[in-house]
Amino acid sequence: MFNDLNPILHSQLRLAVMSLLISVKEAEFTFIREKTNSSAGNLSVQIQKLKDAGYIDVVKQFKENYPQTTCKITKAGIAAFEEYVKSLQSYLGK
Amino acid sequence: MSDEKELTGNESLQIITEMIQKVKGSFNENGSSAILWGAVVAFCGLVSFAQAQFNFNIGFDLWLLIMVAVIPQIYIVFREKKKNLVKTYQQSATDNIWLVYGITIVAIILYQNIVPGASDNILHREGIQLLQKNTTTGEIKDFHFYVPGISSIYLIIYAFPTIATGLVCKFKPMIYGALICYGLFIISLYAPYKYDMLLMGLAGIFNWLIPGFILRQRYLKGLAR
Repeated sequence: MFNDLNPILHSQLRLAVMSLLISVKEAEFTFIREKTNSSAGNLSVQIQKLKDAGYIDVVKQFKENYPQTTCKITKAGIAAFEEYVKSLQSYLGK
Repeated sequence: MSDEKELTGNESLQIITEMIQKVKGSFNENGSSAILWGAVVAFCGLVSFAQAQFNFNIGFDLWLLIMVAVIPQIYIVFREKKKNLVKTYQQSATDNIWLVYGITIVAIILYQNIVPGASDNILHREGIQLLQKNTTTGEIKDFHFYVPGISSIYLIIYAFPTIATGLVCKFKPMIYGALICYGLFIISLYAPYKYDMLLMGLAGIFNWLIPGFILRQRYLKGLAR
């Protein structure tokens, strides 16, 4: 039934990350981890997949000697998310 | 949350809704800036009014405290920037509103302090002297330019970032505070300078101090959740 849905987005954690990032300008890794209630390792892997797909930008820097990772959705990410929601709505409407 | 589970359509929708709701609950504004500015403007306005009303002088220009308050304000901005783990579009919009407000206030202070003297100098260079005559005593003395009713302009500018932030954030205390400030502006059009100071003090209280305390309460409630 869901074969046509974007496989990058059609996964629990990646969809949660994209849903968070579509609502904000940018968010730190710790914020995303807290809101998605995920483990740091798993979240890192999924963020990397979203980054590789071009859906999010990831900026790594140091803040007061601590590493800080900030994520931001890209235009391609917004388009993919909107497309995913449209497809989902049409499936659910059937 | 793991990534292994196969999602159904309803589960997908539920995740999207839940995450958007969680972001809505990420309220970072703690009201420190509003409380600081409200307290300083209220203090300066009310004490200036008291000086004029009860004929005493504390010996320096109270409004200089506004410049002094910039130092803790910068500290607050940097501290909050460090603390915030997320930046919403709403926060980004309100940050820009307050930046424009800051630039406008500095520009008005410069205008108020530079333009009258510059106008005097221009006339002086052209060999023109303006005189003023007291029609009661007949006394004639030099006339120097000044910006009349500048307090009214400040009251409009005070209301601008507050109403814009209130509308963007749908935060009623700021909308009502700014509307009161517009009301004070209308009163100031007809009030003598002494009462302008009282109106500025009231603007500090209604426009910033009270909404600031309500914001703080809301922020602390959010922390306790």
